[in-house]
Amino acid sequence: MSELKLKGVTVVDTFAEAFPMVGTRIIITAPTPEWALIAARTMTGFATSVIAAGAEAGIERTLSPDETLDGRPGVAVLIFTMDTNKLQVQLRNRVGQCVLTSPGSACFAGLEGEKKLKLGASLRFFGDGWQMSKKIGGRRFWRIPVMDGEFVCEATTGLTKKAVGGGNLLVLGKSRAAVLSACERAVRAIDEVPEVITPFPGGIVRSGSKVGSKYKGQIASTNDAYCPTLKAAVKTALPLEVEAVLEIVIDGLTKESIAKAMRAGIHAITDGGAEQGITHITAGNYGGNLGPHHFHLKEIIA
Amino acid sequence: MSALTFELKGKPDQRLDLSPLTPAKLKDLKANEIESLTIGTTRRKLAVGDAFKIKGNDAGSLRFVGTDGRCDKIGAGLAENEIVVDGDAGAYLGDAMKGGKIVVKGSAGVLAGASMSGGSIVIDGNAGERAAGIAVGETLGMRGGQLTIKGNAGPMLGERMRRGFVIVGGNTGDYAGGRMVAGTILFKRGVGRYAGYGMRRGSLIFVEEPKEVLPTFGDCGVMEFDYLRILERWLRSTGEHIGLGDRARRLMGDMAALGKGEMLIVG
Repeated sequence: MSELKLKGVTVVDTFAEAFPMVGTRIIITAPTPEWALIAARTMTGFATSVIAAGAEAGIERTLSPDETLDGRPGVAVLIFTMDTNKLQVQLRNRVGQCVLTSPGSACFAGLEGEKKLKLGASLRFFGDGWQMSKKIGGRRFWRIPVMDGEFVCEATTGLTKKAVGGGNLLVLGKSRAAVLSACERAVRAIDEVPEVITPFPGGIVRSGSKVGSKYKGQIASTNDAYCPTLKAAVKTALPLEVEAVLEIVIDGLTKESIAKAMRAGIHAITDGGAEQGITHITAGNYGGNLGPHHFHLKEIIA
Repeated sequence: MSALTFELKGKPDQRLDLSPLTPAKLKDLKANEIESLTIGTTRRKLAVGDAFKIKGNDAGSLRFVGTDGRCDKIGAGLAENEIVVDGDAGAYLGDAMKGGKIVVKGSAGVLAGASMSGGSIVIDGNAGERAAGIAVGETLGMRGGQLTIKGNAGPMLGERMRRGFVIVGGNTGDYAGGRMVAGTILFKRGVGRYAGYGMRRGSLIFVEEPKEVLPTFGDCGVMEFDYLRILERWLRSTGEHIGLGDRARRLMGDMAALGKGEMLIVG
C-alpha cells in the first residue's frame, strides 16, 4: 500500500465508499437562538444511522435573524434517508413531535427542488379544522393554532435525490485522548462547510461497523479489523502501537460538499496531530462494489 | 422594438371593450389587422384604428396612453407580459386575468381584478366598487394573484374572494371583504361599515383600527403572530414598507356565516 505523509501523519491511499441518499433541508426559527437550537437538537436526536435510527440528521448551521423568513434566529437542519417515502415519514414525525411542540417555533423549507416533501401540508391536520393556509409570495404556509399562539409551517420543502451518505474518515492514534481531540478539531472544521452534517454523537463514531455478523438477523456488527483489542486474533488493519480509532461520518446534499468536508477534516486532524500521537488517517470502504461514490483520500488532499 | 402603444385620439362616443388588446391576442397580428379589430360596444361599429393612434411594435409590452374611465376590460384574460396604462381604466380592468402585470397610472372603474386568478395589478389612483370581486357569471371573486390599490377603494372590495392578496393604501368603502371565502386584504387606512360581512374564511388586516366592527365578530384578544412577521418581510422585499409588527388583536367571524375568518388589527 502506497502511503503519503501529511505533517507527519500517514494518509493511507484508500477511499471512503459512500452511498446515494435522499435528503432535505428545513429551517427552524424561534424567539431566541437558544430555542431554535433546542428544537433543532430535539428533532435531530436519535438520528445517527439509518441502520436503526430511521434517518440521519443534524444541524447544518445557525442562521441570523436577517437570513430567515420571519426575521427571527434560526437553525438549518439536514435530514437524510435511503428513500423518499422513509424521508417523508421521518420528516413528518420529527417535525411534528419535536418542532411543532417546541415553544414559539416556526418551520420553513430550506431547499428548492422540483420534487416536494410535505411539511405543513401533513402537520396542518393537528389544527383540527382551525388551521389556516396563507400564500405569501408564491409560498404556502399553514398557520396551526397552538397554546402559545400559532405554529407557522411552510406547506412543503424541496427534496434532493443527489444527496450522499457515508463519507468518512478513520483516525488512528497512540491514545484514546489524542484521537478524540483530533476528531473534535475535525468536526469543528467540518461544521464550517455548508451542505453537510456529521450525524453521530458530537460528530464522532467509536463503533465503526462492518456489514453482516456471525449472528442471524444482525445486519451490522463491530468492525473487528479496527478494534485494538483484537489485533492478535483477527486480520487487523492496525499497527501494534495504535491504541484507539475513531471515525467521522459525513452526510451531504452533494458529493462535492462531502469532498470539501473530508478535506477540511483531514487538515484539521493533521494540524498538530503527529505531535499528539495521531499516526494514520484512513477511510472505510467495502471494496468499492457497494457504493457508487468513492472519495480517494489522495485526491481529496491534492 | 418599442412597446406597442395605443394613444386615445379623442373622447370616444361609446364605451370601449379593449379585451381584444392583450399581448397574446396581438402577437401574430399585422398593424392593419390590429387597426381593424372591433372594440365598440354599441350598434355603431368602432375599430381600434378609429379610436387609437398606434405606435411601436412590441406586442409583449403594451401601453395605453390618454385612456379614460370608458375604456373597459383593459388586460382582460391577460396571461403573461405587461400592460401599462398611462391614464384611467374603465370597468373590468384585468378581469379574469391569469398572469402578467398591469400598471395603471390613473384610477380604475368598477370590478378591477374581478375574478382574477393570477398575476398582479397595481392601480396608482382609486378603484371603483367591487374591485377583486365577482365578475358577471362567476361564482367567486378574486382567486389568486395580487391587487394593489394605492388610492381609495370603493364598496364591496374583494366580495366572495377565494384566494390572493389585496392591499389598499387609501380608504375603503362599505362591505369590504363581504362574503369572503378566503384570501387576504390589507387595509393601510380606514374602512367603511360592515367589513367582513358574511365572511367564511380569510384575513382582513387593519393597520388603522376600524371605526366599526360587526357584532358578529368575536374578540380573541391581542397576541403574537409570526405570520405578520413573514408578511411584513415579504412586503418589504416587494417594495411595500408597511410596519405590521408582530402583535395584533384577532377577531374571528363572521359568526353568522362559517366564522373561520379573521380580522387582525395591528399596532
